[in-house]
Amino acid sequence: MGFLLLVIPIIALLLLFILKPKRLQHLVSVSSAVLLLIIAAILTHNVILYGAIAYSWLGGFFYLDALSMMILDIVLTIGLMAAIFSIGYLEEEVRQDKLPAPKIRLYYMLMVTFIFTMILALTVKNMGLMWIAIEATTLASAFLVGFYNNRYALEAAWKYVIICSVGIAVALLGIILLHLSSAGILESGSFLDWTALYANAASLKSSVLRLAFIFILVGFGTKAGLAPMHTWLPDAHSQAPSPISAMLSGVLLNSAMYGIIRTTAIVNHNQGSSSFTGRLLIAIGILSIATAAIFILTQKDYKRLLAYSSIEHMGIIAVAIGIFTPLSIFGGLLHMINHSLTKSMLFLSAGNIMQKYDTKQIFKIKGILKTLPVSGTVFLLGLFAIAGTPPFNVFASEFSITAAIFNQSSLWVGMVFILLLAAVFAGIAVTLFKMFYGEPDSTEAAAAKTGEINILGTICLVILLAAVTVGGVYLPETVRELIIQAQGIILGTI
Amino acid sequence: MSENLSETLSVLILLSSFVLMANKRISSYIKSFRIQSMLIALAAGVMGVRSLLDEGRWDILIVCILIVVLKVIYIPGLLNRTYASVRYRVEKDFILNIPILVLVCCGLVVFSYFTLASIDGSSQGMSNMQLVNSISVIWIGLFFMISRKKALGQIIGFLVIENGLYITAMLATQGMPFIVDLGIFIDLVTFVLIMGMLTFRINDQFDSIDTDQLNNLKG
Repeated sequence: MGFLLLVIPIIALLLLFILKPKRLQHLVSVSSAVLLLIIAAILTHNVILYGAIAYSWLGGFFYLDALSMMILDIVLTIGLMAAIFSIGYLEEEVRQDKLPAPKIRLYYMLMVTFIFTMILALTVKNMGLMWIAIEATTLASAFLVGFYNNRYALEAAWKYVIICSVGIAVALLGIILLHLSSAGILESGSFLDWTALYANAASLKSSVLRLAFIFILVGFGTKAGLAPMHTWLPDAHSQAPSPISAMLSGVLLNSAMYGIIRTTAIVNHNQGSSSFTGRLLIAIGILSIATAAIFILTQKDYKRLLAYSSIEHMGIIAVAIGIFTPLSIFGGLLHMINHSLTKSMLFLSAGNIMQKYDTKQIFKIKGILKTLPVSGTVFLLGLFAIAGTPPFNVFASEFSITAAIFNQSSLWVGMVFILLLAAVFAGIAVTLFKMFYGEPDSTEAAAAKTGEINILGTICLVILLAAVTVGGVYLPETVRELIIQAQGIILGTI
Repeated sequence: MSENLSETLSVLILLSSFVLMANKRISSYIKSFRIQSMLIALAAGVMGVRSLLDEGRWDILIVCILIVVLKVIYIPGLLNRTYASVRYRVEKDFILNIPILVLVCCGLVVFSYFTLASIDGSSQGMSNMQLVNSISVIWIGLFFMISRKKALGQIIGFLVIENGLYITAMLATQGMPFIVDLGIFIDLVTFVLIMGMLTFRINDQFDSIDTDQLNNLKG
């Protein structure tokens, strides 16, 4: 069953390669995403009931537990939303002559490969293979970032590949050191095997392991967009097509964060406390939130603003993992889900806005609520949600993280954390809310007639908005169970 | 005997990255990279023969053949073709002058010596000096990327980092699991192909492969 997760994208890729007509391309992309999500739902059920899923064939590399299952669910849900949204988005781009029609096929093939590499990263238990898959995500999405092939997109793609590849090379050095720390302890069959490393964590060499953690944090932190290694992120997110931005932000960053979380669990288990990893993670997390706050306050491009907001939220997750108490881990994992849903909703609605107004500049846009009634409303509510206003779900997880910080009696960390969150809120309010007021200019109104463009995509937006709103007040039992199991895996209580 | 040989090889690999740093022309970068890859293939060959005789393992020898095919023949050939088609008027390419760059590289070696000397347990398996040499290759590769402006220089810097990582893994831990090595090769080839294509496109759009021109996105 689990192998279908890896097989379906490959079949889809072959079908996309063979089938030329546009309609069939759309159909293959959406139906493969639906199938993947159905399989993931069944697997989630099994993981909750029986714990980890592992197969003995193929060297026992396939491995899914609650932690990877949770992130995999996010990947596939956002993947489906992006696939449905892409139909209308691409048709509109072709109609506006921004993309030649044959490029749709290339787009879908790259997108399916991108999803495949992310599934691979989450379903292997060998840290080396995980590294390979995470590097492959960069390579698969490089052309998606540079898809428009103009000066800006090429610059973003070049920076993206160079910075992320070098960062991830540093992570490989960390993984080699992780391997070194286990020399003489693990059998050759279980080299770099996460479960074996975790089980024998107490006997690994602490000093090498600490060095390994620093390299892995810097390396995967680059990919997760943590400051000061975040410089590729705003460029890549603002230049990529909107459904891809949604996937980069909502999905890719989580996959990199997953690598950090796995390593943190080993190192903390080895050290017997979280003070070493905690200090590093909290420092880098606070730095990310602060960097994002500064750039959000002075931002003129709304897609870049959303990208900086992603850096902020990755920082929040890093702080939550750094605190390392049951409450903070729960909050951090929940925040991953909440951030992904909210941020992809925002990027998708930003895609609609961009197609309507044909600009990314905030000051050129007025009266969204009139021209785009549904997308505009979703965007407005999404901004409130991402800034952490109740009743939306981001508030719930940010609240539990803040509570966890204060429970840990790290008063200063908590105060700085809250102050920065307030600054981000103010930044979003000051810069973005002017897009909603005012009348659309008469000339613009002639060009941009009122009404939605991407009907199917807009339905996705409404579904996401419903999930984001309901998630703030009610957490389904399955999700709660999955998060609690994942929390147990990280803390080592299962 | 073979202990001495791998000691010598690790010093030679370090030396080849110094040679790379002292190069002024893009075409000589590719030559230096090829020489370094040959040395790495030799080191892998020595280790492969030893592990075949001692434990009957074939995987390191297969990796050695892969290194020869990919890093000595295929990738340098690909880079040469890319270089031939985007040839820029001035092919000299460096920011600081060469003696300063080489001095900084010496500093990097000393830096990695002191980082690793303070870590106990890093001398597990092989002698500590080989680990210092190979980790220095990684930092020199990184520094090479910073010190060169042309797109091709940056690609080669990344390949040198990858070489350094490979040699670190081999010397420190007797090689990664075979499947991991294989995956890393696949990633590496894809990286070179993608970067080659991006270099073409940047050359088309900007009429040069100078990465200093990639500065339009800010803030």
